[in-house]
Amino acid sequence: MAKHSSVRIAKDRLRTLVGSDRMKCQPEICERISRELYQVLSKYVEITPEEFAVSFGRTDIHIRFTGEES
Amino acid sequence: MGEVIVITSGKGGVGKTTTTANIGAGLSLLGKKVIIIDTDLGLRNLDVVMGLENLIVYNLVDVIEGKCRLKQALIRDKRYENLYLLPSAQTKDKSAVSPGQMKKLTSELKETYDYIILDCPAGIEQGFQNAIAGADRAIVVTTPEVSAIRDADRIVGLLGEARIPKTDLIINRIRMDMVKRGDMMSVDDVTEILSIPLIGAIPDDEQVVIGTNQGEPVISMESRAGEAYRNICRRITGEDIPVQDLESAGGLWSRLTHMFHKK
Repeated sequence: MAKHSSVRIAKDRLRTLVGSDRMKCQPEICERISRELYQVLSKYVEITPEEFAVSFGRTDIHIRFTGEES
Repeated sequence: MGEVIVITSGKGGVGKTTTTANIGAGLSLLGKKVIIIDTDLGLRNLDVVMGLENLIVYNLVDVIEGKCRLKQALIRDKRYENLYLLPSAQTKDKSAVSPGQMKKLTSELKETYDYIILDCPAGIEQGFQNAIAGADRAIVVTTPEVSAIRDADRIVGLLGEARIPKTDLIINRIRMDMVKRGDMMSVDDVTEILSIPLIGAIPDDEQVVIGTNQGEPVISMESRAGEAYRNICRRITGEDIPVQDLESAGGLWSRLTHMFHKK
């Protein structure tokens, strides 16, 4: 995929929009939830932002944490 | 017992009406008895896309208000066996019909028709609530754009709240050249975000515009979009056909159908 792919920007924007729509809250709330979840997790395990992602489903919140590469 | 399918999207202009027309025509080509209903009160379009606008006498509101019998309002499409159109009213607004009335109408139609296809208006207000009231399943149409996908996601949520048993996705107007260079979301990108089953992807095809100009559904034209719609119709009837690779569409199958049509 091209270096300055506009698709990546579109997908990032959509994840935030769709996440906040699904949670029925402001986009920045979703970001705050993600940030705080990251802080909680980092208290107990070594973690970098690259290993961590939160996605908001219609009925649940998924927290993805990829530890050591297998 | 027939099945009521609502074609919806949230955002306007993504191809709901074109999709309704083509699925209606396509299912009738598969030998099904089909009625397509325009539920967009005040902005009647489906008749124009089908090229049947000069044949309208009565409309959906007339039927619901009891001003005519259903049969008097139906327009039979002479090009397709067993395809009927119930047009919308151009002068009424969305409050002229209630969800209860729509539910009653569609449940009556299920006794006569194999498929009742409803063209839903844009938005999430009463027109939308009317259209989904009696639906057994929904097809959400979107294009690979941020605003259309966001609205589609809202619609998927509302269909879930309304307990519509089955919701599938059509992604319309895909341009493979843009997908390849990373400037358009792919079928996989969109499906992943919306996380509902994909029932078809339609390439951006100028034949759709040509068909609409002429009032002729693209499904009966030799075209890549037509082929995509033909596959969607077979999937609706329960056939298990993999979603075609848009890059290779126009290959063998297209040539075969071309020969078949020439016959």
